[in-house]
Amino acid sequence: MPHSLVRAILLGVLSVTAALVLAACGSSGDDGGSAATVDSGKDGRRGGTLTLLTSQDVANLDPGITYSSLDLNMLAATQRTLYKYAPDDPSNIQPDLAAGPPQVSPDGRTLTVRIRRAVRFGPPVNREVTARDVKYAIERGFNPNVANPYAPQYYGTVVGADRASGGPIAGIETPDDHTLVFRLTRPTASLLAEATILPLSAPVPQEYARPLDARSPSDYGNHVVSSGPYMLEADRDGRVLGTGYGPGRSLRLVRNPNWEASTDERPAYLDAIEWRIGGRPGVSGRQVLDGEGMILGDTPPPALVKRAYQDARDQIVFSPGAGNRYVTLNTAIPPFDDENVRKAVAAALDREQMRRIRGGEVVGDVASHFLYPGVLGFEEAGGQEGTGVDFLAEPRGDMELAREYMRRAGYADGRYDGDETVQVVGLAGAPDDANAQIVDQTLQELGFDTNLRIVDASVYYSRFCALPRARVHVCPNVGWIRDFADPQTVLNLPFNGAYIFPENSPNISQLDDPAINRAMARGELTVGTDERASAWAEIDRMVIATAAAVPWLWDKQPNLSAEDVRCVPQLWNQGHCDFSYTSIE
Amino acid sequence: MAAYILRRVLWGLVLLVLVSALTFVVFYVLPSADPAQLRAGRSASPETLAQIRESLGLNESLPSQFWTFLTSLMLHADLGYSYFSGASVGSLLIDRLPATLALTLGALVLWLLVAVPVGVLAAVRRGTWVDKLTTGGAVLGISMPVYWLGLVALYLFSDDIGLIPLLPGAGAYVPLTEDPGAWFAALVLPWLVLASTFTAVYARLLRGNMIEVLSEDYVRTARAKGLSERRVVLRHGLRAAATPLVTLAGLDVGLLLGGAVLVETVFNIPGIGSLSYDAIVNADYPVIQGTVLLAACFVIVANIVVDILYAYLDPRVREA
Amino acid sequence: MSVGAPGLLAQEERAEHLFDTGVARSPWQLFWRRLRSDRLALAALVVIALLVLAALLAPLIAKLAGVPGPTVRDDNAVDMFGTPLGPSGDHPFGVDPLGRDVLARTVYGARVSLLVGIVGTTIAVLVGVTAGLLAGYYRGWVDTVLSRFVDVVLSFPVLLLGIGIASACSLGEGCIDGAVSPGLRTVILVVALVSWTSIARIVRGQVLSLREREFVTASRSLGASNRRILTREILPNLVAPVVIYSSLLLPQTILLEAALSFLGVGVSPPTASWGWMIADAAENFDTQWWYMLFPGAALVLTVLAFNVLGDGLRDALDPRSER
Repeated sequence: MPHSLVRAILLGVLSVTAALVLAACGSSGDDGGSAATVDSGKDGRRGGTLTLLTSQDVANLDPGITYSSLDLNMLAATQRTLYKYAPDDPSNIQPDLAAGPPQVSPDGRTLTVRIRRAVRFGPPVNREVTARDVKYAIERGFNPNVANPYAPQYYGTVVGADRASGGPIAGIETPDDHTLVFRLTRPTASLLAEATILPLSAPVPQEYARPLDARSPSDYGNHVVSSGPYMLEADRDGRVLGTGYGPGRSLRLVRNPNWEASTDERPAYLDAIEWRIGGRPGVSGRQVLDGEGMILGDTPPPALVKRAYQDARDQIVFSPGAGNRYVTLNTAIPPFDDENVRKAVAAALDREQMRRIRGGEVVGDVASHFLYPGVLGFEEAGGQEGTGVDFLAEPRGDMELAREYMRRAGYADGRYDGDETVQVVGLAGAPDDANAQIVDQTLQELGFDTNLRIVDASVYYSRFCALPRARVHVCPNVGWIRDFADPQTVLNLPFNGAYIFPENSPNISQLDDPAINRAMARGELTVGTDERASAWAEIDRMVIATAAAVPWLWDKQPNLSAEDVRCVPQLWNQGHCDFSYTSIE
Repeated sequence: MAAYILRRVLWGLVLLVLVSALTFVVFYVLPSADPAQLRAGRSASPETLAQIRESLGLNESLPSQFWTFLTSLMLHADLGYSYFSGASVGSLLIDRLPATLALTLGALVLWLLVAVPVGVLAAVRRGTWVDKLTTGGAVLGISMPVYWLGLVALYLFSDDIGLIPLLPGAGAYVPLTEDPGAWFAALVLPWLVLASTFTAVYARLLRGNMIEVLSEDYVRTARAKGLSERRVVLRHGLRAAATPLVTLAGLDVGLLLGGAVLVETVFNIPGIGSLSYDAIVNADYPVIQGTVLLAACFVIVANIVVDILYAYLDPRVREA
Repeated sequence: MSVGAPGLLAQEERAEHLFDTGVARSPWQLFWRRLRSDRLALAALVVIALLVLAALLAPLIAKLAGVPGPTVRDDNAVDMFGTPLGPSGDHPFGVDPLGRDVLARTVYGARVSLLVGIVGTTIAVLVGVTAGLLAGYYRGWVDTVLSRFVDVVLSFPVLLLGIGIASACSLGEGCIDGAVSPGLRTVILVVALVSWTSIARIVRGQVLSLREREFVTASRSLGASNRRILTREILPNLVAPVVIYSSLLLPQTILLEAALSFLGVGVSPPTASWGWMIADAAENFDTQWWYMLFPGAALVLTVLAFNVLGDGLRDALDPRSER
C-alpha cells in the first residue's frame, strides 16, 4: 500500500520523539561511508524559502499534545522549551528558554531553572514570556482536553501532579517572574531537566489559551502562539487554521516579528518554511533530488537512497542512532510463552535480509540488543558485538540452532507441531510490509501456521499490537526512539511489567519478569551518568536473555535535500534539517 | 408535474438520512481505528485514554451519537470536527471540492468533445475502421484499471520521471486562484486518464443510438423531403440520440463528484476522493460521514434531475 | 459502476429490447450459430480458458518456466541496496523488492482475481436475481422495501463502501462475530455486496414486464401456483439477460477486487494479487517498471477478454444488434 514511510520511522503512532546521543563513544563502526554531517550551522546565507515535502500531515499543532518526530522539528523552530539539544550535539542539553544550566538540589528532589529575560510571545499575544507561562504549559498537559501522553511519565513525580487535571500543580512554584522551582516526590530532578526538551515545557500564555483549553478537545493547536524565531502564519486573531495550516495540504512558517536574536543562539537564516503535504515519498524524493530549495520529510525508499548514495552523495545524510527496530513475541500466550520457542525465532530470523530490503548497510546496523549506538549504556551492554547470547550471534540467522531450541522446547523434529495459529500483524507501506512478510515466512519455516495481516499505522497499535485482548502473537514492525538521551526512555516502557495496560499498552511483549521489573524500578532512581549507564546496560542484557523481542536494526535515518540547501541535521531528531540553522545557498 | 418533482425531492431527502445511517453503521459499528488511542500515543495511561474518550464524546451510546450528529447537521448545518486536525468538516469539504470539480468537469468536457464527433462518425460510416476503432476503444476503455492507466501515463509523460517529459507529474496540482497556468497543466494528464475510460463508451453508445434513430420513420421522411444528409444527421439524429447520453453523463458526473478516489490517489490531487480515503484509513469518523453525505448528495441530485427529465419527456413515468 | 467506468449503466440501455424476438426457430440454435461466427468472442473465450487453466495449473507453469514459487525469496536477485533486479535469464519478468519472481506471482495472481471475480459475481447474481424476482413479481410492500433499499445502496459512494467494509472487516476477528474473517472471504463478500444492486434492478424491470405477458396471465388463469409461474414461465426468460449482465459484471468485479487490493484493503500478502503488486510498484515504477507492467497487463488482458466475451454473448442473444 502506497503509504507514507514516515509512519514507518515514526514507528507507529504519534508518540515517538527522538533524542540521539552522538557517541562520546565514537560513532558506530560502519556508517556506509557517509558520516552524518556534523554541521553547527554557522555562516549560512540569509534569506530564501525552504520547502519541505512530506507524505504525512502534522499530527498535532499543539506543543502540549504532539509527540511525533516531524512535528518536533517544526516545534523546534517555533517554540522555545526550557532546554534543548543543539543540532550537532545530541548528548548535552543546552539552555534555550532557561538562562543557565539546571540547578539540582543535593537530594535530587528540587529542580530550579531561571528563565531568560526579553523573550516575547509572537502575535497576537506579544508580551514577555514569564515563568508562569511555563507553569501553565505543564499544568495544561494534565487537562483531559489536552491529555499530554508523556506528562504523567516525566512530570508525574512533581508534588501534586498525581491529582492534577488541568488546574494548578502545587509542586511547580514561581517565586518570581523568571524563576521556576519544581518540587518532586522522588529524586528524579536530573531526569526531569532532560525531559524538558520535549515540547510540553514550551511556554503557553494562560490568558490566551485558557478559553481554548476549555473546549474538548482543546483548540489551542489551531491558535498556537510562538516563542521561537518562526511562527505559523496566522490571521489577526492568531488563528492558524486556514492561513498557516491547511489540513492535509500545507503548512507555512514565517518569521516571528517579536523574536529577539540576542536572546537566542539560533541564526534563523530562512525567511519562510513551507510544507507541502501529501505526496508519495518516492515521487517527492525525486523532486527533492532534482529540485531547488527543497528537503524531504519522509524516509526515502531504498531505490532513491541508492541513487542518492551513488550519484548525489552530498545531498543525502545518514543520521545515526535514529532508533531501534524489533520483532515482539507475545510472552503471555502460547506458543511464545515458552522461552525456548522465542529463542528459536530469534535464532532463525535473517536480520541481514531484514536490513537489506530497507536499503542495506547504509541505512543501519544489524542490532543485537535494544540500546543503540550513541545511547548512554550502549557500550556497557556489549556495543556492536552484542550481549553474547548464542541465539543472536549470527546476523544471517542460524536455522540449525533454531531447530535445536525448538527441540529443547519439546518439538522433537525441530519444527512446531502444536495447534496454535500464529497471528502476525505487519505495518502497511513499503518496506515495512516486506519486513513483516520475511518474519512471517521465517515462522513458517519453523513449522508454524501463520495468519499475516497488513494494517495501516493508525490501527497497528491501537487495535492490534498494543491491545492485549487482540491476542496477536508477533508484531514485526515495532521499534522505539528515545525521548531524550537517557537509556530509561528506550527500555522502561516497552519491557517493564508495570506498563501492561488493557489497551494502548506500550509493553507489547507483555514481558513481566519480576527481576527485570525490580531492576527497572531501581534504575529509575539511579543518579549519576556512569551509574545509570551500567544499571540500564544490565537491564538491556536481562531483557535480551528472555528473548521477549528480537532486535534487528539500529536505524541510520537517510535524509534527502536539494543541491542548494545547506541542511543542518538535528542529530537528536532523526537528522531532520533544523529550520533555525539551515540555509539556502 | 409539480407533484412528481416534490415527491422525488422528498424521497431524495429521506435517502440522505438513510445513507447517513448506513454510514454510521458501517464506520462506527464495524470495528475500526480508535481515535482516542490515535491521539493519545503509545505511552498514554488508561486514565488519559479515558479522558480523551470522554472529551471526544465517544462514550455516548451509538443512537445518541447519531442523533447528536443529525440534529447538529439539520439545525446548525454543522458536520462536526475532524478527529485528526480539529478542522470543521464543512471547511475541509469546501476546501477540497474545487479540485474534484475541476477534475470531473474537465474530464467531462473532454470526453464529450471527443465522444460526440467520433460517435456520429462511427454511426454514419458503419463497418469502417472508425467504427471498429470506436468499438475496440470502448471495450478497452472499460477494461482498463484507471489507476494503472494513470501510472503508465506518468511513466510515459510526466516531466519528473517520465520517458518523454511532457506534462507535470503527480503532486503538481495548485489551486486555480494561485496559478491558472500550473493548475491547468497539472490537470491535463488526470483529465486524459479519467476521460479515457468514458470516451469510447460514450462514443459507442451514441453510435448505437444514432443508428437506431437514423432508421426511424421520421428521419426517412426528412430525407425524402430532400433535406441534406448532414442536416438530417445532425439536426434530427443527433438531438434524439444524444438525450440518453446527456442523462447518462449526468449520472456519471454525479458519481465522480463523490470523488474519483483512484485517480486522485495516483496523481495526488487534493480532492474529495483522497480526503475520504484518508479519513477512512485514519478512522476520522466525522470526515467520513461528511464526504459520504456529500457524495451521496451529488448522486441523488443527479438521479432526481434525470428522473425529472424523463418524466418531462414521458408522462407515463410520473405515475410510477 | 463504482470504479469510474460507465460500463454497466451504458449497457443497460442496449439490452432493453431483448425479448421482442418472437422468432419461431429455437433461440438456442440461433444463439450458438451467431456466437460461433463471432471470431472475437471465440478468441476471448480461448483466452479465458487459458487464463483459468493457468490459474489452476500455476505451480506447473512456474516449474515449466523454470522460476521458483510465488513466495520464494531469491536473495541474489536483490542488490545490496535492496533494489530488485529486472528481467533476466533466471527471472524472465524480474523480481519484486522481496526477491520473489514476478512471473510466478503474476500467474498465481490470476487465481485470486478469477476466484474473487467468479465467486463474487455468482453471489451477487444470486442475491440480485432473488431480490429482483421477489420485488418484481410480488410487488406491493416487498417491492417497495427492496427498491428503496437498493436506492440507498446505490446512492452510497460504492468504492468507499467497499473500502470501509473491507478495512473494518480485516481488523480484529473480522465482523459479524467472526463469520467474515479477514482475507479472501472478506473481499468476496465486499465485492458481492456492492455489485448485487444493479442486477436486482434489471431483473425487477424484466420481471415487471414479463408478468404482464400473455403466457403468464394465461398460466395464472389456468390456476398455476405462483411458484410454478416463477420457475416455469419467468425464470427461463430471465436466463438471457442474467447471463449477459453476469458476463458484464464479472470483469467489473475483477477490477473492483484489484482496486481494493491497490488501496490496501483487499487480499493480504503474501498472497499474490495483481492489485497489490501494482500498488507495490507505484512507488518505484520509473526505475522498476516490471512489476507494474506485467500484473497490470495481465489484469487488462483478463478483464478485456471477459468484456469481449460479454459483448459477443449479448450480440449473439440479441438479433437486432448491429454488427
